[in-house]
Formats: sequence, structure tokens, C-alpha cells
Amino acid sequence: MSWEFFGTTLAAFFTLSLYSFLYKDNPFYKLAEHIFAGMSAGYYVGLIWHTVIKQQLWMPLFNDKQYLLIIPGVLGLLMFTRFFSKVSWLSRFSLAFVVGNTAGISLIRQLHGLILPQTRSTFLNVATFSGLVMVLGVISTLIYFYFSKEHKGALGAAAKLGIWFIMISFGASFGYTVMARVSLLIGRAQFLLTNWLHIIK
Amino acid sequence: MDSFLKIFSLLKGIDRRYIFLLIGVAVIIPLIFPLGLPLGVTQPAQDLYNKVESLKEGSVVLLTFDYYPSTLPETEPMSYAALRQLFKKNIKVVTVTTIPLGALSVMESVVKNVAREYHKEYGVDYVNLGYKYGYQAVMLGMGRKISDIFPTDAYGSKLETLPLMQGVKNYKEVDFIFIVSDNATVDYWVSLVNAQFGTPMGAGVTAVMAPKCYSYLQTGQLVGLLGGMKGAAEYEKLTSNPGRATRGMDSQSIIHFAIIFFVVLGNLGYFATRKKEVSK
Repeated sequence: MSWEFFGTTLAAFFTLSLYSFLYKDNPFYKLAEHIFAGMSAGYYVGLIWHTVIKQQLWMPLFNDKQYLLIIPGVLGLLMFTRFFSKVSWLSRFSLAFVVGNTAGISLIRQLHGLILPQTRSTFLNVATFSGLVMVLGVISTLIYFYFSKEHKGALGAAAKLGIWFIMISFGASFGYTVMARVSLLIGRAQFLLTNWLHIIK
Repeated sequence: MDSFLKIFSLLKGIDRRYIFLLIGVAVIIPLIFPLGLPLGVTQPAQDLYNKVESLKEGSVVLLTFDYYPSTLPETEPMSYAALRQLFKKNIKVVTVTTIPLGALSVMESVVKNVAREYHKEYGVDYVNLGYKYGYQAVMLGMGRKISDIFPTDAYGSKLETLPLMQGVKNYKEVDFIFIVSDNATVDYWVSLVNAQFGTPMGAGVTAVMAPKCYSYLQTGQLVGLLGGMKGAAEYEKLTSNPGRATRGMDSQSIIHFAIIFFVVLGNLGYFATRKKEVSK
């Protein structure tokens, strides 16, 4: 028995073990689930060690003498002070850096990369039928989420139209989600029939 | 009418595992005995194909492998089809991933397989940058200088020693970004890289993500879009490379019919039995 066949059989075993849950909960399912969780955790630890600690901190700091990296290194270490109640306040410096950094990037990203281009293109094609439908959809959906006035009269009618647009959007998302999940099942079936059993080429 | 109600009452009590079994059979049978159902090509897929076709020989494309192994049935065929189209047109390819779990090994295997098919030389025709933690910083940093973020490629060679990378310093030298993604990284490619650096891009995403990504098509931030296994099958058709996605589409169609049938049946049963309950 070759190692390749052994590996494929092991993968097939875990696939079938996980799908056995559809019949009912059983030890095979639990075994596969626990092995997956354990392996993922172990893999992440190894990955962070190699790709972050070693590759992005240790080696540039000591091999390439990039001493500026001491600052993020210290900030990283300060995160561990959360385990000691007396000095846990020190971790706030690291968190403040992360929050500030993320907020700064996100603000520009949301405004420059999403809100402005989306708003511009929504109102650019208003002369076409589909453009008009889109503008109606955007405005009525926004009205639905306007809660400072009771949804009555014209506002209520617009909010109701907004619900329809939201429902159509949920339907499209659900349809695509079904397709995605079915694709994963097809992928596993292809693996079992092609790579493991060699029934199909 | 009563006989109908009886049938619906019976169906309501059916063990759902029979439905699981039916779905399983509906997947397996068309895989073993393909039906060859027709497959149309949507405009977003055609646009993406046309954009890549319009690139000149020797252009540089950044191909991302931003997906986990769990979504391989949808994403991997897109990567294969895209890479075959790019290599066939003698376009230089730089590959990268921002996903830690498994993407690196998938990327290596896909790129090596297709490079071997088209006799492409590593370092000259394609370069594998590998994985780097922190995708926002990676995407922004590559706009400044790629070698700042990736001093070496995935195999430890310094970027300046690779002939292809000597002419590719940042996004200015990248003609197109082909994103294949199963998560939010596509949002970041669009809103950080396209918005700030203006690099044209197209995406192949999982079906779950496709509805959201249509808004990027409408703004022109993405030139084309592939959605899920269907999108992958469309690209396989466009590039004349039928593969696993195309073979899976028969099962996909049959199951969609089955699900529509169950949804209609379930609703009929619900309304019929509700009417009876209300009249009681």
C-alpha cells in the first residue's frame, strides 16, 4: 500500500465519518471533529511561530538589524500581561495601537473604497430602467431602516417597498448559499469517486 | 382534497434522512453517468475572460489564492482555468496568498501542475510569493514595494535574484489582479488596492460571496466576476478546459431541481394544512 493511497483512504475515512452525522451523532463523527479541531489549532500555532515570530520579528531584528521592530515586539509581549492582574493594564497600550491602526485604515477604506464609489455609481445610471430600480431599492431600503418616525403613510409605503427589496436580496443570497453548499458536497463526492475509488476519471 | 391533505400529512412526518439520501443519490448518479446539460456563460464571466484576453503578451498578472481547502470544489477550478489562460497567452504570473490554512500548499500544487503543462520556467515566467500574515498590511505594503513585504519568494530566494521580479516593484508594474477568494479579502483587494492604486481587477469567488461582489461589478471596481462552481464551470468553458467544475454542474442542476421541488411541495403542504387548521 503506497503512502498516497493511505493518505487518500484516511481523507475518505474522515469525509465519511463527518457525513455519518447526517444519520445520527456517533463516535466516528466525534473523532473526526476533534482531530480536525486539534490539528487546526496545532497548525495555527506552528504557522504563527514561523510566519510571524520568526519571519517578521526574530530574523529581521537579529539578522538584518532592523531595531525599529523592537517596538511591535514589545507591544506584542505586553499583550501577555493580561494573564497577570496587577500589570494587565499594560496590555491596553497594545490594544490602543491595534484599535487606532484598524480604525484609521478602515475609515479610509470604507469611505474611499466603498461608500463613495457605491453612491456615485448608484446614481449615475438613473436614466436606465435597471438604474431606476436600483435607486428605488436603495432609497426604500434606507427608509426601512429610518426609525426616527413612525412608518405610516408615504413613509410606510416606501418602507414596505424596502422590505420587498430586502427579501429579494435575501432570496438571492440564500439561493447562492444553497449552490455553495451543494458544490461542497459535489466536491467531496468527486473526491470519493475519483481519487479514492477511481470509479470516474 | 382530503386525499391531498393525507399525502401532505404523511410527507410532514417523513424522516428527513430520506431527503439526505435522495440528495446524495442525486449528486452521485450524474457524476458517474454525466448528462451533459447545457451550460450558459454569464456576462460577468465573459467580461473577465475578455479582459484577460485583452492583455498583451509579457504583461504581469497577480493571481491570488485567497481560499481555504474547504472551498476547493468552487475555487480551485477557477485557479486552474485562470492560470491556463494566462500561461497560454504567455503572460507573466505572480502568485500570492493571504490565507494561512492550506492555501500555500494548494497554490504550489496548482501552479506547478499548470507550469509543467505549459513548460514555464520559475523566476522567469512565474513567481510564487507565498504567504504573509496580516493581509491589510500586505496589500497596502505591496503598493509601496513588493520586496519590503516579501523579501524572499515562497522558497527563500531573494526577490531581486528572480528575473521576473526585477521588473515588478509594486502595483504600477502589475497589469491586472485576478483574485480567487472565498472570504472577505476580496473586499480588501477592491477597497484598498483598487481604490488607492487603481490596479484593474477581476474576481472568482464562492457562491456565498457572489451577491455581495455584484455591487463591485456595478461600480466598475471589478471588471468581471465568477460566482461559485457555476462561475468556475463557465470559465472552464471559456478557456476550453473542461474540468471538475464542469463535471459537477450536472449534479448541481439536478439538486437545484430537487430543492425547488421540495420547496414547492413544502409550501403547498404548509398552506394546505394551515387552511385546514384555520377552518377547524
